[in-house]
Amino acid sequence: MLPSSSDVIEVTKLTRSFSSRKGFLFQEKVATDALRGVDLTVHSGELFGLLGPNGAGKTTLTKILSTLLLPTSGTARVLGRDVSREGAAIRPLIGLVLGGERGLYNRVSGRENLRYFADLYGLPSGSVTSRIREVLDLVGLTEAADRRVEEYSRGMKQKLHLARGLLHRPPLLFLDEPTIGLDPRSARELRKLVRTLSSEGVSIFLTTHYMFEAEELCHRIGILAHGQMVACDTPSGLQRLVGGEGTVELESREFDDVELSRLRSLPGVSRVLQEPLGTHLRVTLRVRPGQWDPDALRGALDPHPDLFVRERRTTLEDAYLDLVEQEVAA
Amino acid sequence: MSKRPGYGLRGIEASLRLSLLSFVADPQWLIPSSIAPVIFALASFEMFRGSGPTLVLYAVLGASTMSMWGQTLYGSGWATGQDRFLGTLEPTLVAPTPYIYVVAGRVIWNVLTGLVGGVLVLGVVLWAYGQPLPLSNGLLFLGLFVALMGSLAAVGLLFTALFVYTRFSGFIQNVGEFSFYIISGAMFPVILLPFWVSPFSLAFPATWAVDALRYVGIPGYQGLSWGLTGDLLGTLGTSLAYLALALGVFRWVEHHLLEAGTASDY
Ligand SMILES: Nc1ncnc2c1ncn2[C@@H]1O[C@H](COP(=O)(O)OP(=O)(O)OP(=O)(O)O)[C@@H](O)[C@H]1O
Ligand SMILES: [Mg+2]
Repeated sequence: MLPSSSDVIEVTKLTRSFSSRKGFLFQEKVATDALRGVDLTVHSGELFGLLGPNGAGKTTLTKILSTLLLPTSGTARVLGRDVSREGAAIRPLIGLVLGGERGLYNRVSGRENLRYFADLYGLPSGSVTSRIREVLDLVGLTEAADRRVEEYSRGMKQKLHLARGLLHRPPLLFLDEPTIGLDPRSARELRKLVRTLSSEGVSIFLTTHYMFEAEELCHRIGILAHGQMVACDTPSGLQRLVGGEGTVELESREFDDVELSRLRSLPGVSRVLQEPLGTHLRVTLRVRPGQWDPDALRGALDPHPDLFVRERRTTLEDAYLDLVEQEVAA
Repeated sequence: MSKRPGYGLRGIEASLRLSLLSFVADPQWLIPSSIAPVIFALASFEMFRGSGPTLVLYAVLGASTMSMWGQTLYGSGWATGQDRFLGTLEPTLVAPTPYIYVVAGRVIWNVLTGLVGGVLVLGVVLWAYGQPLPLSNGLLFLGLFVALMGSLAAVGLLFTALFVYTRFSGFIQNVGEFSFYIISGAMFPVILLPFWVSPFSLAFPATWAVDALRYVGIPGYQGLSWGLTGDLLGTLGTSLAYLALALGVFRWVEHHLLEAGTASDY
């Protein structure tokens, strides 16, 4: 069933633009380039996370890979099949969870929603009832299964979306912001479920805005900004990519340019960023642990009566913000 | 589609079932949709009252057909609009069952609920007329009635493709509904219509099916010039043509949705 190749997703030079109309009567056509030449490979059994600011193109990419949207140019192969020409062959093998408040039949129960989609996925008739019971149990929706979906809370709907995506045991799962709207406990349970599925060999492609979620779950992370993949690596690889696993933060009312350039030239310091922080200024340094010298750092600064120094690990969020901001600056 | 025959019947069945469940959850809308055919039936009944029982049958048939067609068009259009509104169009499209089967299930369901309007019409007329209508060949009549329902479903399927294509399809609905009343001969005999309308009339399967029903139900009826056999062939031929057209149009419409990315609009 699975292709011989060990890559479940192979994307090259993928672009997608949308044309929409603006204005009334004398409408003007505007084109949005949602994806601008994306390259990406996801290996079989991998749990891949896609991060990126709002409007970066994450949902667009997810929809193209799950055959809901055709690319404008470039190619995308999922489980060895071309998304533009072999959508029908891909569909039975993938699960898609778009999530959100919509996408469910509100007037019937959660169980009936699942029953309907089990039929559309052609599950063997004899196993429909038991499989529905299984997925309901898996997402923790057994008790509410026979209530109408319109009575569900947002989190319950999210769980039902997930249950639907799992019904036919797809070897590849797409999850677009799966924990959005879930309370902390449910979110944790969902992450546990995602990990379990991954350990059972399911390949997973997920998008998220939560850094810790990506860091905790994903084998590899891609960062999408303005329709382009600005980085793609393991969580620690991304931290190295932005200049080291250590971060030093300096806060004071003022730093002058001479000080900043002295900091930049210190050994072991790879990046120096500054941002306003209320009445103060914060200077953030990315440093390579063991290669930088705290005393040299103090020596590079003029005396500051209000200087505050803090050393910590570079987080994925730091790496993310660096990469996305670089992209904005470029 | 032909490579995956397993999804067809299963999809239709699933869609019928969901329609039934959604209906049971909220059945009251059946009342407004049955009012129009009853009014039509009463009006034509008054017009034909003096002309004997066969003309009453003529009127009843016309009104029931209108009811079923109105229900097919509104119901199927509404359901597809709901798919957009609820955001269920995307998960449905991503499932391996081709969307046309889902729509087919709904269309069949709506023809069936349209039958409620027809039965209501019959009840009202029987009550007003005070005696059962004469039917010379009950079994054939029933068979033809099912054929009429099938022919309406085939046309409904094609029309629904337009609702899938765009969310701005309300006007198609209105044009489709009222022009049908006239050109199908449901309201007036096709013979009375201007000459140029007749190609449109004959392109509509229900025109043939209604005419066949009248041949069977009304002794001495003179309808379309090809007789009962012609009517049967006409019903079958045009229905199959609509079905084939619908299959092609659906394939094209689905492709368009994925290309334009408008499946999530509502
Ligand atoms: N159907 C559409 N028509 C027009 N533009 C669209 C359409 N869908 C997406 N876009 C545009 O494409 C870009 C990418 O959108 P997309 O939804 O993929 O972003 P995203 O990364 O998922 O954002 P978010 O984090 O907010 O979910 C945006 O500029 C958006 O406005
Ligand atoms: Mg999104």
